[in-house]
Amino acid sequence: MLSDLFLQKKTDVGALMQKRDISGLIRVLNSRDPGIQSAAVHALGDIGAEAVGPLVSALKKKNRYLRLGAIGALARIKDTGAVSALADMMRDPVSEVRWQAAIALGEMGSRNAVAPLLSGLEDRDKYVRYGSALSLWKNGYQPADEQGWAWYYAAMQDWERLCTVKSSALAPFLNLVRDTDRDVRIHAVRVLGDIGDKGAGPSLIRLLGDPDRQVRWEAALASQKCDVPPMFLPRGLCQRPRIQKNPLVAGFLNFMLPGLGYGYLGKWWGIMIFQIDITVTVWLFKAEGESNTYILLFPLYLLLAVHAWYLAKNMPEEPA
Amino acid sequence: MTCLHGFVSAVPDIGSLQRAGNIPALIRHLNHTDPSVRWHAAEALGTCGQRAVPPLIEALQSRHVPVRLGAIEALGAIRDRRAVDPLRAIIGHQGMLEVRLAAVLALGEIGSPDAIPVLVPLLREPDRYLRYGAAIALERLGWQPDNGADTAFLLIARRDWGAVRHLGSAAAPSLKVIFHDRDPETRERIVTVLGQMGDPQAQALCRTALKDKSPVVRWKAVLASMNCGLASYDLPLLLAARERTGPNPAAAALLNFLFLGIGYNYIGKWWGFPVFMTYMCVLVLAQLAMGPFLPYLIAYPLTALIGIHTYYLAERMADI
Repeated sequence: MLSDLFLQKKTDVGALMQKRDISGLIRVLNSRDPGIQSAAVHALGDIGAEAVGPLVSALKKKNRYLRLGAIGALARIKDTGAVSALADMMRDPVSEVRWQAAIALGEMGSRNAVAPLLSGLEDRDKYVRYGSALSLWKNGYQPADEQGWAWYYAAMQDWERLCTVKSSALAPFLNLVRDTDRDVRIHAVRVLGDIGDKGAGPSLIRLLGDPDRQVRWEAALASQKCDVPPMFLPRGLCQRPRIQKNPLVAGFLNFMLPGLGYGYLGKWWGIMIFQIDITVTVWLFKAEGESNTYILLFPLYLLLAVHAWYLAKNMPEEPA
Repeated sequence: MTCLHGFVSAVPDIGSLQRAGNIPALIRHLNHTDPSVRWHAAEALGTCGQRAVPPLIEALQSRHVPVRLGAIEALGAIRDRRAVDPLRAIIGHQGMLEVRLAAVLALGEIGSPDAIPVLVPLLREPDRYLRYGAAIALERLGWQPDNGADTAFLLIARRDWGAVRHLGSAAAPSLKVIFHDRDPETRERIVTVLGQMGDPQAQALCRTALKDKSPVVRWKAVLASMNCGLASYDLPLLLAARERTGPNPAAAALLNFLFLGIGYNYIGKWWGFPVFMTYMCVLVLAQLAMGPFLPYLIAYPLTALIGIHTYYLAERMADI
């Protein structure tokens, strides 16, 4: 970025550090150059408690890189006064910021950090969950009950130990099966099957409609281990998204812009037909006049439209 | 039918229709926009007993998939043998997977031995859901395979890969049949099992797998081939004979020859379209200045050279 180029030329973190220019160093935190950003984080960390106040204020800035850097600097300073501000950052909309906040809370060594980190175990993002679990472990946290262990293992993605939790501790799975990472969903479904709890049935039926093919299949297998009646499999599977080209769209495109309907269906030669049509149309316009051109070409366009519609209609569906 | 408590929300309207024995209305609700209403209606129809069988059989002809699915579920719950023949007909018809799967499972629920001759061949189906459903249904009917091939097909359908491996060479022909599964994960498993068995008879299948369109299957085939005694120097030759999944070099060359830039776009170069637009502008301006044909005479030798270059560019694109 242009601004970064200017920043890289002008930024001398060492000089700012010598002057103990805290606000200057905080400004450098929004650099897109990880090297410069990291140097500023280290410098602010070395300044220590004096920088905590301005860094906490910087957490309110809109720039995500600045927030990330400020949290990193607070993690280095390890001032427990920043715990509540960092706990607030666990609700930041940006997942990297939440992850960084979880790591920073782990560095604080404060009991007050446990509650926000426990909420981090329930985050929708696997990085945040993992960071929270590691930070809790670092602070010597031991879950009090089966449910707590389940959240902890789920966050650590320790699938083997997760299998050992009692069926009463299924809550973390509801979180895992909604994860955007298909591998997390697949593992979660397998573990649900291994636990074999009937209570997992509704979730597994929903997962039969998952956008990912392997998740659907694992859900089908797991559902049988959880005593879901086999007759429920087709109804769940029926909810899967169907990725199929719309025959009407293909036909319409080929009628209006001959060739592009084929392109829509993934045929490489569609664009070629489109170009040929444009060339032919221009020459026919010149040779035969407007109305004769339309009379000649429209029946052909209609045929192409029907053909594209037919092709789309007979395209094999993606396997379940 | 097993009660759906926990699976669907209560719908009082369905309850009153069920009490009133209003079968036509319940069948109409099978096509409700809310899946929970549809599922509830299917459950209610399943409790209506034998008098619901004729209208439900009639509903199997509906053009709406949810109606057919719900009717099959209800027939499976009623367990009336009059439904066996219509359900067998659905399985024979190459229709929607979910409907066929529901019919397979319903035959298992009905418990008529008449269904066995229809279900056994389904263990050889190229779709893993149908095979799995057939295995469940046959298990419910108490069917036991009486020969090695059927045993292997049943174990494959149940995804009991450990037991399949235990069968040794006897499983190889069945694995070969199922290798036509459209799902790459199944093909991958089959090749892995063959590699673990190390059976020289599996060489032919390894040769096919080395040309598979899935890179994961091809890799597993490389590993399996070594165990099956295939000469290592043959592997690259077989792999090179695979169907290419990347862009077609000839198509890329032709597109660039006729419409310079589109060929580049086809092989994934973003700047293909700007090149094409520039080419077209220059061509049109040249035609205005020199007449219609001379610009083509100048352009085509140049685009022919670029076409040849594009051919080699596309051919070198790795898709291993």
